[in-house]
Parts: sequence; structure tokens; C-alpha cells
Amino acid sequence: MTFAKAVCSALLALSLSCGTAAPSSGSGAPEHVLEPTLRRLSTAELEATAQTLIGNGTTLAAALPPDARQSDYSRNVAQSVDSLLLGQLFDATRSATNTLDLSRAQFPSCARSALAADRACAETTVTALARSAFRRTPTAPEVEQLLGLFTVGAEGADFEGGIALVVRGLLGSPKFLYATTLGEGAPGSNRLSNEELGSELSLLISGQPPDDTLLLAASRGELVSGAARELQALRLLQQPQSRDLYLRFVQEWLGLIGLNGLAKSSQVVSDFPTLRQAMVSETSQFVGDVFSHRAGSVAALLAGRYSIVPDTLAGFYGIQPSAPETRVDLSGLGRVGILQQASFLATFAHESESAPVLRGKAVLTRLLCLDFPKPTDLGIDIVFPAADPNATTRERYARHATDAACRGCHATLDGAGFVFENFDAAGRLRTSESGRPIDTSGSIQLDGKLVTLTDSAALSNALANSEQVRQCAARQVVRFAAGRSDVEVEQAFVDSLKTKSAERRGTFLGLFLEFVKSDWFAWRKPQ
Amino acid sequence: MIRRTALPISRRAALTALGAGATLAALFPRVRPLRAAPAPAKYFIGVYMPHGMAREFWVPKPGFQIAYEGSSLAPFDDAATYGRSFRDQIVALEGLDHTAGLRSATVGHDASRVILTGSGTNGQNASIDQFLAIEQGLGHDTPLSSLVLGVGSAEPALQWCISYAKGGTALPKIINPLATFNHAFGQFLVDPDPLAVARAAREQRLGKSLLDYWTTDLAELRTRAPQAERDKLDQHATALRELEKRVVGQAVTCAVPPPPDGADFPAVGSYQGGEPYFDAISNLQIDLMVQALACGVTHVSTLFLADLSRTHFDAGLPEDVHTDVAHRYASPGRGGTGGEPTSQAKLARQNHYTYSKIARILQRLGEAGLLEQTVLVAMSDMGDPSKHSSRQVPALLAGGWGGALRAGRHIDLGAEGTPSNRLLVSVQQAFGVESDSYGQSVDPSILSGALTLT
Repeated sequence: MTFAKAVCSALLALSLSCGTAAPSSGSGAPEHVLEPTLRRLSTAELEATAQTLIGNGTTLAAALPPDARQSDYSRNVAQSVDSLLLGQLFDATRSATNTLDLSRAQFPSCARSALAADRACAETTVTALARSAFRRTPTAPEVEQLLGLFTVGAEGADFEGGIALVVRGLLGSPKFLYATTLGEGAPGSNRLSNEELGSELSLLISGQPPDDTLLLAASRGELVSGAARELQALRLLQQPQSRDLYLRFVQEWLGLIGLNGLAKSSQVVSDFPTLRQAMVSETSQFVGDVFSHRAGSVAALLAGRYSIVPDTLAGFYGIQPSAPETRVDLSGLGRVGILQQASFLATFAHESESAPVLRGKAVLTRLLCLDFPKPTDLGIDIVFPAADPNATTRERYARHATDAACRGCHATLDGAGFVFENFDAAGRLRTSESGRPIDTSGSIQLDGKLVTLTDSAALSNALANSEQVRQCAARQVVRFAAGRSDVEVEQAFVDSLKTKSAERRGTFLGLFLEFVKSDWFAWRKPQ
Repeated sequence: MIRRTALPISRRAALTALGAGATLAALFPRVRPLRAAPAPAKYFIGVYMPHGMAREFWVPKPGFQIAYEGSSLAPFDDAATYGRSFRDQIVALEGLDHTAGLRSATVGHDASRVILTGSGTNGQNASIDQFLAIEQGLGHDTPLSSLVLGVGSAEPALQWCISYAKGGTALPKIINPLATFNHAFGQFLVDPDPLAVARAAREQRLGKSLLDYWTTDLAELRTRAPQAERDKLDQHATALRELEKRVVGQAVTCAVPPPPDGADFPAVGSYQGGEPYFDAISNLQIDLMVQALACGVTHVSTLFLADLSRTHFDAGLPEDVHTDVAHRYASPGRGGTGGEPTSQAKLARQNHYTYSKIARILQRLGEAGLLEQTVLVAMSDMGDPSKHSSRQVPALLAGGWGGALRAGRHIDLGAEGTPSNRLLVSVQQAFGVESDSYGQSVDPSILSGALTLT
């Protein structure tokens, strides 16, 4: 099955046929709306457009400073263009445009042999490039400005030199660097402009600049309709770039991006850097598979009862290597979903020992959207449990249950964290610690009930069926889309989903579609 | 209040105003300048120290003895290693709390944000380095307004930064000495080959056109931007101005140093194989930083010495300093009894290592003749690291502060805890900023009042 067909088939499970519009939502501004913002693109988004414009495989992202994140998401309205970023972007785009292959598809055919004096071809070319960079059709004065750059670049050089300067100009332009959601500012209302609707839709669903079909729909004013936006999103979701963006979303949501910034003691694993790559690879393939075949199902992510394990990880998991891209059922080893994958377990662990508090906190904050104060916020001194060769980690953390000051939070945190104790600091299965048997029992308050757990597989199964988790997933979609936390809009979006099908509420593709067609996507507060 | 006096227009600035900067200068008027009379202090350096501090081996003995057995401050009185003693150039300042963090749940590792901003996670003000460089004009006439460096982690994230732009965004750091060299000195490398000269002239012409283009675009965007987004665009305008200085070209007052040899540090990232090279990287970053100050490339720099764990630099310390030294530190705190002297001595060894890097900064500043005019502040996010405590965080002040610091002594502000904002007030006053408060807090009382340092 092709990728597009696979996604289409998964989307059918959402009670939709690919190509048929869903009912539109209302047409007025909702009660709670997001602030109008200028969001500086993330480095991945910068890279996507640079690839579209330059297309010679040159990567800019490695030369740029890392993203500042919000709730671990790189879509972050607080990001800005500082001196270091601009300087490094200036240098990187200069290097990347040293030679351009004008025969590539993004350039009009006239560009292949045009002379520096060929203004007509220059105009056609810069217009096409600006459409990608500005995520809209450039105005006539904007094209004139770009032709001015072309003339300077071509002077004493050639057509390619002129286009190279235009590409540099576009990649450093504020009109490219900021995704605006300022709206049209009509009195009493503030809906995104047609162009902003197209830009936002493309960046949110595929992480790419809008393609011609989307630009056309935007220019015709069609994206004012939620149904039309949903239709466009359905189309974009069938492109592989959307899968890549979904993978990034999941990695950021679950904090798996942290894996690259940590180490493991040589007493735990001998070659962690190699193993780490295998862990990332497993999760990437698995998440991609859930996107393509299960419409990004929350339940499948948490308890799909399968994974796709690279050879380099098979030994670590204690299984035989399998053919590439083969689904393997690991539930017999206590691994039923993403929370039992080594990437998650190693990320939320210390260098040489497991970390029940970090694991429990990750589940409760990221999957249930709960908040916990830090001990220091409460004036409580953290006492790191002393190493004890004769005790399990659980036993060393016993004070959490006996000290009244700790118990308030840790009864909850540790209840969701101890269930992972059969996995060590790197995520390797273990049945004993310090010569003593492992106890993986725990509990969690879910959907208003206390659920008793035998191990983390039981936790994952419970989470997979939880309405509370589905609601948190919806909040995460809003947080990612908005580039910031806005509790009121998150709650309003969650409330709006009550009448939707479980498939819609329980899959990330369904949630993204619901958000894109909603008024929270299309409207902003008046300035 | 800050005196508002027009900054004298230099010939360079006047020439620039005729070119690419004209539109920019008109649309984004420069902010309040420093007072007209030259401020006594000229250079600012802020350093982040990891892992908290072992007070037991930090407090100087009577007579300001700092070279006693086990003392973490010993590098500052080690003429054999650093060419001279810097005992008369430092103040060991005790009794500060990161109070702005305590008032805003910005504590533990997060309190690194408070060190130079004097505000917690919701603060909108710049850190003092950026405040001086951008808002007070200390960086206006240098090619770089500031040089934000780090070792190990480039992440512009809460626990990994001390430099913040106005608006409250963490600034990224340069962690690769080659990138530091290129950023600070790359523009001054001159290849005498005629073809190279022609290429450079063309590149300058192209660069000016790009700047004109971007400046116009930014101005247009600013007219549509909500008020809340203006800080962001101001920062962008600052970045354009800085790039303009680079493109137009500015003279430097010294010979450009040779570039570092990348073979000395095959990896630079924390947990990405960089650990064995952190010592060499720290030294290069320090040397390049001071050379940049000496060359007039910038007047302001910060250095974030990230975790520095698992480096094996000190055979007497465990592999994982973070877990096995900082987390195992057992101290009774001020006036208490008990604790584990062995754990305290271990943390002091790690502190000693970090201070050895600051001693190197002082050594280089001294060699360049910049010591008297430099304000150096080094602090950790925590006092007692095992408690992740933002209270009683020892500070090291160094340099001459242009006469605003009487050095060679231990100042103890007491056990009750003095807001670290007051140190920042003193810093800005050393640069001639006549304001009595720094930072933001729900409790404005903690923001005001300078320390008595002279």
C-alpha cells in the first residue's frame, strides 16, 4: 500500500471519505480566542523552506542555534530573531547559495539558460520563489523589490548570481521568518486573512510552505470555510512531510527530544550513543506507522501491542532481529506501547538508575496535563536517596510515603512511576534489583476513579482507554498549534469535542482536523 | 533615574546613517544612552558556575586567606599558575538569595535565569549584560553588542542560560570555539589576494542590499504588529544593526588572533562526546572572549559553564559529578552542625575547578590591561545543591569595577538573605546607570537598593 493510500484508509476510519467535506463549524469569533502573534519559525520550518528554495541538499539547521521551546514544543511564539541567529543565517544562506542548480523543479524552465538581462524570466522566478517564502502570492511592489535585489546580484555576475541574492533575501526576510496571525482587523472581528489561513494550515499540518493548490484556495477566499480547511488538511495529511511533522509533535509532546541531551553510566550500557540512535529509530518507525495506519491513534501509541525494532536494539530487548519494518508483538516482555519503548524509559531516568519520579511525572503532566509544584516551590529540601546496594529503588524512595510533606504529591507521582521499575536506567528489562525482586505495583487516578495497576503495561492499557488522556491530547494539539499555552482556549476546544466521535477525539489526525476547521484556528483577539 | 543625554555621534555612525542604517535608525530610535561622561567601568563579564557551592571550603579565613588546604577560591591566590595573585582583585560575597526566583517558583536549576535578570520565569526584562549592551548603549559602537558563550550546551532553555533579551527570551550560546572565532573575528580576516579583495567588495555590496531590503520589510511588519510583539521586533532590529556593522566593516584595535584548531575538540556538545574536550574548549572560549574585549569587538560577554560533569578532569572526583558530588553534598548550612565533610570537600574540588577558569579570565584580562575597567560577576543557581537551594548563594565579584569595588575582602551580608537583585543594582551603577532597582517581581521591595561595595 502506498503511503497516501495507507493514510487515506486510516482516515476513513474517522468516518470521513477522503475528498468529502465535513460540516463547517460556526462562522463567528468564539468566546475565547488566541492572541494575535508573530511567531518566528522553528529551525525545522526554516529548513523546510530553505530546501524548497535551494533544494540542493544543503542543510541550514545545523548551522543555526537550537530552538527555544515552550512545553518542549519548537513551535513557540516567544522565539525571536537575535543577533546570533541572524548572523548565522546570513552566513549559512551565503554558503548554501554559492551554487544553485537552476534546472531543479522549483525554478521555472526559463531559468535554466536565462541571461542576466532576462528580466521577464527573473520576474517569473522571483515570483515563484516568493510564493514559497512568503507563503502567499507576493504583491507587485514586493516583486519589484526582489527584482532590485536580483539586479544587484546579477551585476558583474550572471542570472544565477541574481537569483542567489534573491534567495538569500527571502530567507532573511521578516515576511518569511515570522508566521503572522494578525488577522484582517475588521471592526468587531479579527479573522485571519486568507493568506494567513493558508500559511497557518500548511505549517501546522505539513510543516512546509503551502503548495500551489493551497495557495489557490487561499487566494479565492475558500479557507474562510472550516470545511474547506479540513478538506485541504486531509489532502496534506497524505503527504510524507505531514508524517514527519507528526513525529516531531509526538517527540516534543512526550519530551523524547531530551534523549540526545543525556548520558548513561558505562555501568548501565557500554555504548549508549549507538544504542540511543537505535532507540530513536524504533520510536520514529513506530510513530510513523501509527500515523499512517492508525490515524495517529492515541490508544495505538500507548497500547498498540506492537513495535518496529531495529536490529541494533533487538539484543538489548532480548529478542531475535526481525525483517525491516516488521511489526513485532513485545507485550510478553511488558512492552505494549510507546511508554515501554527504551526511548521513553531512558529519557526519564537518571544516568545510572531508574527514576520513578521522572517517569511518573512525565505520564501525569504530558498525558494527563496535570501540574505539580517542585519541592523547592513548597520550601521542601530535596534529599536524594542514598545509594544502597541492598535495597531496590522503590525501597530507597520509601520516605516519599512516610513523610507527610512529600506524600501529598508523591502518592500520585510515584504511583504512576513505580510501575516502570522493571526497566532500568536505559530501559532494559529487569526482574530484580540489588538481588531483590522488583515490585511494579502502582495506582493512578483516572477519569475520577482510582485504578490499581500491576505494572506499566496495565497503566498503558488504562491510559489508552481514558477520556482524560484524550482531553489532554486535545490540549496538546492546541498548545502545539498556538505556540503557547492558553488554558481558556484549550478548555474551550476540549469542550467542543464532546459531541464528536471517539475516533475523532481519540486520534491525533482527528484532533488536528477538528482544530483546523474550528474557529479557534481562524480567529484571533482584535488588536 | 537614568540621565538622558544624547550619545555623541561618531564619524562611523554618521557615515552609517547615510547608508543601510538610515531607515532603521529612524524607525527604531536608539534607547536611552549612558550618561555623557565616560562611565568608569567599561567591560562586563558574567559567568555561570554549575553544581552549587560548598560554603565550608569557600569562606575565606581571617585576613582574607583563600589559599588554605581545600579552599575552592585558591586559584585566585596562585601566582605559580596564573602569573600573579588575584587576591586583591576579588570579593567573596556571601549572603545573597535568588529572591526573585523564590517569589516566582523559579528555583533550583531554574534559578540560573535569576542570576543576571533579577526576575523569574515570567520576567520581561533583559539580563544585565543585554541591558547594558543594548538598552544602555554599551554595545552600540562595537561590532558585536555582546558575545554570549557557553560550554557543552547551546540550548536557549530555562536551566541553561543566563543571558536573556528584553521580552524575556533566553539567548542562544556559542559553544564551538571555531564558531566563536568566526563570530567575533571572522569579519576582520583580510586576504590580500586581489581576487579575494574583489570578492569581499562584492559581498559587502550584496550585504548592504540585503540589509536595506530586510530593514524595509521589518519596518512594514512593525506597523502591523501588536504592542505585545514590539520587544520581539526591537530585538530583530538590534540584530539587523549588528549585522550592518559587520557588513559595513569596522576597524578593530588589535591583531586578529589565529583561529582555534578544530582538531583540539572533535566534539563540543554535552553527552555528544564533548566531555573530554571541555577543559580545552573552556580555555579557548575564555581566551577568545578576552581577546574580543581587548580588540574592541565587544564590551560585554557571558559564559555559561554547563554541567562539566563526566569530564574526568579531577581524578579525585566521581565520574558523574552531578549525581555523585552535587546531589550527595551534605551540609548543615550556616550555623548548623553535622553534615559530611568528605562530601563538602568533593564539591569544593569541583568549585575549585570552575574558579580556575575564572582565574584564567582574570589572568587574560590582566595581560590585556583590562582588569581595572572590568566588572566580573560569577554565581551559581544554587547554594546547597543537594537541597537545590536558591538561598545563600555565594558570589564572586572580580575586576576593578572602574573603582566601584573595593576588592580583596570577604563581604558577609548575613544569614537572613539579601536579594541578588541588589548586586545587579550595584553592577548597573558601576556603569553609570543611575537607577536604584533592577529586575521584576511581584514583590517590588526586593528590587531596590545597591550593595555597599566600596
